[in-house]
Amino acid sequence: MIPLSWYLVLSAALFSVGLFGVLARRNAVAILLGIELMLNSVNINLVAFWRYLDPTRIDGQVFAIIVFAVAAAEVAVGLALVISVYRRRNTVVAEEIDMLKW
Amino acid sequence: MTTELLIWLIPLPPVLAFFLIVLFTNRNKALSHTIGVGAAGLSWLGSMVVFARALGAERLAEHPFHSAIPWLPTGDTWFNIGVLIDPFGAAVLFFVAWTIFMIFLYSVGYHNFGQPKGDHDRAGLPPHGATVADEKTGHKHMVPSVEPMYSRFFAFLGLFAFGMYVLVVSDNLLTMFVGWEIMGLCSYLLIGFWYGKESARNAAVKAFMTTRVGDVFMLLGIAFLYSATGTLSFREIFTEEVLHVLATTATPVLGLSAAGLIGLLLFIGTVGKSAQWPLHVWLPDAMEGPTPVSAMIHAATMVSAGVYAVIRMFPLLSLDASTMTVVAFIGTFTAIFAASIAVAQNDIKRVLAYSTISQLGFMIAALGIGAYVAAAFHLITHAFFKALLFLGSGSVIHGMEHGVLHTGDHHVDPQDMFNMGGLRKKMPITFWTFLIGGFALSGFPLVTAGFWSKDEILADAFGHGHMAVFITLAIAAFMTAFYTMRQITLTFLGEPRTKEAEHAQETPWTMTVPLMVLAFFAVTYGWVGIPEHFPGLGGLVPNWFHDFVGHTLEHVPEAPEFSWVPLLTSLGVALGGLFFGWLYYRNVKSAKEDVFQIGVLKNKWYFDEAYNFLFIKPVYWISETLVYKWMDQTVIDGILHTFGKVTDWLGNKIRNWIDLPVINGFGDFVGFRTADLGGAMRPIQTGRVQQYMLLAMFLLLIVGGLLFYFLVMA
Amino acid sequence: MDFINSHLLSLILFLPTVAALVIFFLPKDEVKLIRWMALTASLIPFALSVVVWVNFKSDASGFQFEENYPWYEAIHSSLHLGVDGLSLTMVVLTTLLTPLAILASFSITDRVKPYMMLFLMLETGMLGVFMALDLLIFFVFWEIGLVPMYFLINQWGSVNRNYASLKFMIYTMGGSLGLLLGIQLLGVLFKTFDLQTIVEGWTSLSSSDTFGQTFFTVGQVKAVAFWAFVVAFAIKVPVWPFHTWLPDAHTEAPTAGSMILAGVLLKLGAYGFLRLVLPLYPEQAQFYAGALAFLAVAAIVFGAFASYGQTDFKRLVAYSSVNHMGFVLLGIAAAAKASGTLDATIALNGAVLQMFNHGLSAAGMFFLVGVIYERTHTRNLNDFGGLFPLVPIYGGILIFTSMASLGLPGLNGFISEFLVVRGSWPILTVYTAIAMLGLLFTGAYILKGIKSVLHGPLNEHWAHGEHELTEINTREILVMAPLMALILVIGIWPAWILDVINKAMVMLF
Repeated sequence: MIPLSWYLVLSAALFSVGLFGVLARRNAVAILLGIELMLNSVNINLVAFWRYLDPTRIDGQVFAIIVFAVAAAEVAVGLALVISVYRRRNTVVAEEIDMLKW
Repeated sequence: MTTELLIWLIPLPPVLAFFLIVLFTNRNKALSHTIGVGAAGLSWLGSMVVFARALGAERLAEHPFHSAIPWLPTGDTWFNIGVLIDPFGAAVLFFVAWTIFMIFLYSVGYHNFGQPKGDHDRAGLPPHGATVADEKTGHKHMVPSVEPMYSRFFAFLGLFAFGMYVLVVSDNLLTMFVGWEIMGLCSYLLIGFWYGKESARNAAVKAFMTTRVGDVFMLLGIAFLYSATGTLSFREIFTEEVLHVLATTATPVLGLSAAGLIGLLLFIGTVGKSAQWPLHVWLPDAMEGPTPVSAMIHAATMVSAGVYAVIRMFPLLSLDASTMTVVAFIGTFTAIFAASIAVAQNDIKRVLAYSTISQLGFMIAALGIGAYVAAAFHLITHAFFKALLFLGSGSVIHGMEHGVLHTGDHHVDPQDMFNMGGLRKKMPITFWTFLIGGFALSGFPLVTAGFWSKDEILADAFGHGHMAVFITLAIAAFMTAFYTMRQITLTFLGEPRTKEAEHAQETPWTMTVPLMVLAFFAVTYGWVGIPEHFPGLGGLVPNWFHDFVGHTLEHVPEAPEFSWVPLLTSLGVALGGLFFGWLYYRNVKSAKEDVFQIGVLKNKWYFDEAYNFLFIKPVYWISETLVYKWMDQTVIDGILHTFGKVTDWLGNKIRNWIDLPVINGFGDFVGFRTADLGGAMRPIQTGRVQQYMLLAMFLLLIVGGLLFYFLVMA
Repeated sequence: MDFINSHLLSLILFLPTVAALVIFFLPKDEVKLIRWMALTASLIPFALSVVVWVNFKSDASGFQFEENYPWYEAIHSSLHLGVDGLSLTMVVLTTLLTPLAILASFSITDRVKPYMMLFLMLETGMLGVFMALDLLIFFVFWEIGLVPMYFLINQWGSVNRNYASLKFMIYTMGGSLGLLLGIQLLGVLFKTFDLQTIVEGWTSLSSSDTFGQTFFTVGQVKAVAFWAFVVAFAIKVPVWPFHTWLPDAHTEAPTAGSMILAGVLLKLGAYGFLRLVLPLYPEQAQFYAGALAFLAVAAIVFGAFASYGQTDFKRLVAYSSVNHMGFVLLGIAAAAKASGTLDATIALNGAVLQMFNHGLSAAGMFFLVGVIYERTHTRNLNDFGGLFPLVPIYGGILIFTSMASLGLPGLNGFISEFLVVRGSWPILTVYTAIAMLGLLFTGAYILKGIKSVLHGPLNEHWAHGEHELTEINTREILVMAPLMALILVIGIWPAWILDVINKAMVMLF
């Protein structure tokens, strides 16, 4: 059986890719994509720990499903915001959307 | 109807007339005077019935007509008021009823009832006359115009009559004082009847205030008497026990007994009301009122009320010798003092005014020497002949005004005697009645009432050894005769001195009838009081007056023994005064030739000026400056304002020293420093999500690292 | 009917407030409706108080028509109402004057709704003081009365109204501080605020004992508390030298405000003397009677002089109140000095009747000043002159009312002034004699008023054109008629009211 650490390494790599995307990309849609990657890396972690630690309980799966739901909602709202910003300001570049500064 | 009930009713018709006229009929002149004169007539009728029954009553002095009802609750007892007619009251009621009725009647003519409305007449000013066109010729001429406030005059007269009747029928001092003051009000209203004249307005206030000086003392006297005896009813006070207690109680004032002090206080009221020196100043000015008012209020009734009051209180007054001395002195001094002024007056009414003061002085002096009956007798005869004289002078003025309207020269004063002369032919009835009145005033022997009453006063003064009083009064009597004859000579005798006097006219019957009625009494009333031992006439008719009125007192006063000295004196002064008056003034043509026009007499011994300087000006100063400006506005309000300012200052200081720097400062410090800090940290807030994220990650790493270090490694 | 009969006093007391609340919900532009509503609402308490007067048993001692409701049980205070001959007289005066004042206010056009509401609340405040048998309730109503009056002067007054209203408020509030402390002291001491209980307990404490846990004797505490009460009431009466708020407040207040101020509010102070000071502090009152009499005489004399020194008609009338109320205090001082004697009873009869009489004549005088002020917009006596021919009816009414104020025999003022003088003379002879100086100048200032307004040469300014003076109208005559009728009736036949007062005074003192 594949050891747990493999999953964890995969998950960490995926998370790092996502984090990099969030921090480094200028396109807001890409940042959203990065967030999705990070969430899914978490999901991998959850499922892997569930399977390897105590498969009789369903906590890990439930957590994963909640994260799916949150991710779906987040994408829906996030994309809507991005579209809305694009319509008004004709841009999706994150640096240009700095209205919230002092 | 019982006599008591009738007495209760006597004062009511005039006061009802007052309310009827004021509330309902004041626009209808005829109705108003009908109500007024009718009411006076009803009261007159009632008074005559009461008087007749009083004459017929047996032992009236011991059993007077008296009835009382409770009026004011005082603790567990009641203060009663009621009516009382004893012999003295009956005698007074008689003359009061007659004079009031006559004067009501006279007023109808005096105020030109039946004449047209004036051209420019206005309420508050005397009528100026109306222009009428002759029916046949169309020629226009002036006639007297009717008084614009005709109805109001009768209303006031009615109220006045009410006051006088209340005074006379009262059985106690309090309701007597009520009547007394109501008359004071009416006197004020009627002196100021032509209130549009500045002089009338001032005279009215002067009269009210001067008499009020006396009245407040009288009120104190009443309060004193009431608290000392527990009653104000004459019958209860004038009992042996009560009088004895009053006479023996000492007071801290001038060593007077309670009776003396009460008497003095009450007497000061009389000094005010009867215009005795030093409160005499109001009466001459009161002549500003219409002449019927002068006759009624300021000669016959109200000023007599003062004398009435002291005669009423005689049993009390006579308890203290010092009080009696004061009374005698004031009366005697006033008699000669006022007579001296009367000699120098030119206004026909002012002469009579000073004469009234002087004659009232005679009565007060008589009372002061204990001549109770003589004072009462002179009170009544004087009321008749002085009312007659005033009404006569009114008639003269009325006739002169006719002349003034005829010539149209309004600068001629119709009251100045030097504008008159020769009126005996123009106004015969007025002349003859005035002559009777004047002779009565002078004390023309035997036929006139004034002779008998004045002679009795002189006889009393002589008989009881009051020589100073006797001599002074004799001189005053001489001056009385002198100025009376001066007046008659200047007014009626000789030739007219002005055109107005030539065109004077006799007055209508409403004015002459009262003159004749009063003239009748001015002659005959003296005959009821002829002393028993008078040579020749004495004993022909009984000395009814002395018997009747004298019995009002518990101890009937002795009539003085007959003596030739006072008789000859009174004959001498009366005839002498009349003779010299005629002798001198028949040749005087104008005021300039009159030797008695001396400044000091003409200016009434400068009493008005002195009072103005001594009392009126200081009072103005005290009121306006001392009390209001200094005490209230400067001191009391000043303290308040200072208090306010100090509080304000303190508040400001607390604010400036504690609130602003410390408390506000702390609050401000916290706020501003927080703001500074925020400002300093502001640049961190870039608005870029990715930078926030990076920051968060670093912080997370640091925190995570620290946690790891402390929790795991340690 | 049973409800009405058993709640007469509280109905009289609170109906005006209820009416004020009803008016609150009326539209503010319905001026006529509001006026008539206010008038009707104030007439009902009057009718009820007449019922109380008729059913009142003057022979019975103690309070009648008593009502007692729990109010503030934690500190033992209750809404305890009741009347005796003294307070009933004042209640009738209040309920009589309020409708007249409201009728007099019909000429007000500015913010009628709040005006009428304030007036009705004022009535509740005043009535509460007269009816209260609980010290705390007494104080509460005492202060409640201030507020509407403050706003009436401050909002509807004339030029100098801010100064006057503030002075009125501060003066009275300042005075009542001591009163509040005194009442608290009594309340804490006796664990109740019930008047009758406190009077019994307080007077039975011996003056020489130590007071509670303190170094003071009961006598010392009583003396201090006595002066605290006296100052509070003296300011309201007002007694010299606490009187200077009065001319300002009266002069600036709207006409009806002055009527109530002079007619009723001043009586609160005198009522306080009779209801609280004399029963609570008989010994102190006796000891300090001379001082009280001095203040009273100062008020009489200086009030008269100050009044005579005025050129403002309303201020003249205002100062006359100082003069007249001085007689009330003189009577009270005499009664304090010789409590229980016949002289004291007569003095008290005079003082209470003088309170009632002054209520009638002062209200009338202020109204008449208001009538002429409304037409001429001046109160300066020198601006008038000879107006009698223009306004004969007004002139007649003015002379009549002035004479009542002057104390002319035959009208009401004389009876009360005579009784006070008669009662005080044997007790405070010198003071009474000096007070006569004030009585003399009462005449002087009254005549000055008549002389300047009605008599003398006509000031042509008022005779023609736009300034032409109009005669007093029917509504205004209707305001004066009841006052004049009462003035005359009491002057001629005072027994109907004096009997009630007399019996109350005999039983109280």
